[in-house]
Amino acid sequence: MQADDVFRQQLLGVIPRLRRYARSLVFDAAAADDLVQTTLERALAHWHQFDQRRDLLVWVLSIAHNAHLDQRRRDARLSVVDPERASADQDAQSSDPGVDVGLRIDLVHALARLSPEQRAPLLLVSVEQLTYAECAEVLHIPVGTVMSRVSRARALLRQFLDGSARPAAGGAHLRRVI
Amino acid sequence: MSAAQRPDDTLLSAWLDGEVEGAECARVQAWLQEHPEDAALVRMWAADRDALRARFSPTLDEPIPEKLAQAVSRGRSERRGPGSGWWAQSTAAVALLAIGVAIGALWRGSTSAEPLASGRWTQRAAVAHAVYVPEVRHPVEVNVREGDAAQQREQEAHLSRWLTRRLSVPVKLFDLRDQGFELVGGRLLPDAAGPSAQLMYQDAMGMRVTVYLRKAAEQDVPAAFRYDRQGDVGMFYWVEGRCGYALVGTQPRERLLALAQAIAKQDQMPPSAPER
Repeated sequence: MQADDVFRQQLLGVIPRLRRYARSLVFDAAAADDLVQTTLERALAHWHQFDQRRDLLVWVLSIAHNAHLDQRRRDARLSVVDPERASADQDAQSSDPGVDVGLRIDLVHALARLSPEQRAPLLLVSVEQLTYAECAEVLHIPVGTVMSRVSRARALLRQFLDGSARPAAGGAHLRRVI
Repeated sequence: MSAAQRPDDTLLSAWLDGEVEGAECARVQAWLQEHPEDAALVRMWAADRDALRARFSPTLDEPIPEKLAQAVSRGRSERRGPGSGWWAQSTAAVALLAIGVAIGALWRGSTSAEPLASGRWTQRAAVAHAVYVPEVRHPVEVNVREGDAAQQREQEAHLSRWLTRRLSVPVKLFDLRDQGFELVGGRLLPDAAGPSAQLMYQDAMGMRVTVYLRKAAEQDVPAAFRYDRQGDVGMFYWVEGRCGYALVGTQPRERLLALAQAIAKQDQMPPSAPER
């Protein structure tokens, strides 16, 4: 069954926020848009599963989360991604004006040092301003887990920015999950 | 936790996100007022949050890349034709279909030659709506607005019993008066595999909506609310339990959604004689 025009219009409407989330999740602009494209294609393929009473953004973000997980599993099999370099690449591409460059690099570096399990809830709550319940829905985890991961991610991010915590051995794979 | 006990970081963090309510919220606030070092910590978190938002939000103002816009519109025009959408399928029910096309087009004031066809039950709901809503003298088979209050109650009970027996699923007469719609009555209709029912409601301006009910077929699950619109006519349809529902009307989407939600809510209440 083909997705109807109303659904396609709604989907177009959420693209900017979907792109922002993808960008904050995978840093590299081209890789982020690839993730967005995969997400949109999956949303269209499964549009009949979308319940119109629900928030489309939350539904689409949850598809993006699953697509990102799939991507990470593939990457894990193929290569080791160095988040320090990824963030540096991303920063080089950024044309974001008005924010202090030093702070920006630090911020993105610090964010990149969080584990994906900590980063996603922090971004959904801080940048996308989802409620904990919505965030739990996107990530398929309990609300209590959202609460503890956001708190932990926040504390770690601040430590990294203060320079008071060095990355653990193999910090690229810091995987503390609360 | 007593007032003297420090709220842990998780609670402070949740408070910053507006996720702490009531007495606990008040206690966190009281604690922060008296403990500047914790207040400074929370302010730092808030600054990091704002910095993250500022860092990524410029993406929002970028134009949508052509590649992504195409991903959304892909398959729309080229694959459209027989077999897509509830207005574009064609099989049987030719007579009803022809009436539906004629009246539907007239009634919508539309000259579009878009083929109305019946392949899906939602299509039949749309056609039935188009056929009966403009009826002035015989909009329904069983009219529950005639006679005095006692007669009206009797007609309602009769209508509900009759449709329940013919559809083999409990048919409730939904009360949409909170949404400004009075029940006019209902009628029995032919669906693909058996009988279906149409309930008609009318507001104070004489605007009508119809609720189409049918016994659910095997392939009707799952039960999500879906919305479709063609021209002036919008429809919310869903499957709940053993019954498929379609709410059809020319009202704005939000209005139709409120009506559909009211129906779904009443449908979940235990079956009983409607208090009217």
